[in-house]
Amino acid sequence: MHSIAIVGAGPAGCFTAQALAKLLPEARIDILEALPVPYGLIRYGVAPDHQGTKGVIRQFERLFERQGVAFFGNVSVGDDVPFDDLTRIYDAVILATGLATDRRLGVPGDDLPGVSGAGAVTRCWNDFPDATPVQVGPRVVVIGNGNVAVDLVRLLAKGPAEFEGSDLSTLPAKGVQRIDVVGRSAADLAKFDPVMIRELGRLEAARLHLHGLQGEGKCVEALRALEGHAPEGAGCEVHFHFGWHPEAIEGTDHVTAARFRQGDARLVLPCDTVLTAIGFLPESAFTDMGGAIRPGLYSVGWVARGPRGTIPENRADAQIVAQRVAADLAALVVKKPGRAALAALVPQAVDYAGWLRIDAAERAAAPEGRVRAKIRTKAEMLAIARGEG
Amino acid sequence: MQIAVLYGTETGNAEMLAEDIAAHLGDAKVSNLADFDPADFDAATFYVIVCSTYGDGELPASAKPFAEKMVSQGPDLTGLRFSVFGMGDSEYPETFNFGGKRIEALMTSAGAVLVGERVTHDASGPDMADDLALSWIDGLLAEARG
Repeated sequence: MHSIAIVGAGPAGCFTAQALAKLLPEARIDILEALPVPYGLIRYGVAPDHQGTKGVIRQFERLFERQGVAFFGNVSVGDDVPFDDLTRIYDAVILATGLATDRRLGVPGDDLPGVSGAGAVTRCWNDFPDATPVQVGPRVVVIGNGNVAVDLVRLLAKGPAEFEGSDLSTLPAKGVQRIDVVGRSAADLAKFDPVMIRELGRLEAARLHLHGLQGEGKCVEALRALEGHAPEGAGCEVHFHFGWHPEAIEGTDHVTAARFRQGDARLVLPCDTVLTAIGFLPESAFTDMGGAIRPGLYSVGWVARGPRGTIPENRADAQIVAQRVAADLAALVVKKPGRAALAALVPQAVDYAGWLRIDAAERAAAPEGRVRAKIRTKAEMLAIARGEG
Repeated sequence: MQIAVLYGTETGNAEMLAEDIAAHLGDAKVSNLADFDPADFDAATFYVIVCSTYGDGELPASAKPFAEKMVSQGPDLTGLRFSVFGMGDSEYPETFNFGGKRIEALMTSAGAVLVGERVTHDASGPDMADDLALSWIDGLLAEARG
């Protein structure tokens, strides 16, 4: 019986465990996670009003409930378990640590107070434990032309009544009057999914305006259909601009404007908040095509391929890496101690039963119109997991 | 009556449900639509097709090759009986459950007969797919056998 450790309980790690459990039903698979809670980006990255997308969690629950995969939450590889110990204990170690840090704009003023990256913002709005609060004022500029930018706009522009059935705890901002969404590329090269754009057409409290909309294609068509969306009593104006390159963020001790250029033309948007959604920085990418770093050590998902790609793309990637791991293990006679040895090293670990206590507490605390209220500090999560909550 | 469960999936949700349905039925064979050739349809078998919807109302990745083969091969499925459990998300109302709808259209236009009504499960709705599917399949089989 081979022992396998997967580091990271997000979608890449869980899909890898799922594929391995099918390929190697005899193997003992453990998932280590730095947070006390599993599911990573599904829980903290997928927008709180997209609960349907979070439905893949039901697949992952099977891993722990029926397929014998063990959850070791609150275990930080590097801090709690030296990396070398892990490779000594397990026949195969798979890194699935996912998201890195927000890519910075790289223009003057991009570090002014009032400028935040989408990753930081999303963690805050999704109640990531101990996340730094993000202040959002009435005039917001969102920079980026992808689905993450659309998420930010939608969450800012929605009124309180539009979060029915979500797990949002606090409105991301109150009294946002104007949101300017600015992308470098022309509209026909924007990376929005048409389905995400159409969702904006159902906003109940925002008027939508499009500037410089040119070209053809499904995305442009979806954008064009938004023009004139003006529900009665809407208090928020959303303006889309295409083909503008960020030039500088202006302000002395706080953001006062964002400046863009298009050839010789300039666009200056007065604002108090700049949210950037221009991608994430990869932390490492050093594998071969099968996801192997060296024999016995692999990586999968965003940590392996760079921070891009959808949930199903990560699933497909996970299946490829799992096949590679299974093939390598088939040729491996050495069988390391795995789970028992890890458990001895990490007495503080939160197991799956501990997570279920947190999950139950969150569901029980859900206010009217919400499906859960996430626990917002690691300390409280740990207390509940230990039955002290 | 021989029963076969086919699934078209993108994120794995439809695959899991197909496996659950097959396990519930005891001895049904489960196949990914990606690995299924329309030439292999057997008139004596009852087909349960689980299919999600992805992106802009499209078929999920694993159902796309099957759909292409249905169009290019144009098989005669007269008399073949099937049912469809469609999966979608009402957060995207314009294209809700288009995947299952497309599968139904491909099958019926080839002459196959839909047994029962096509189910349209909603990922954002209150029902768990399993709860819906297992009672659905029991009712359906009673009808198919009747």
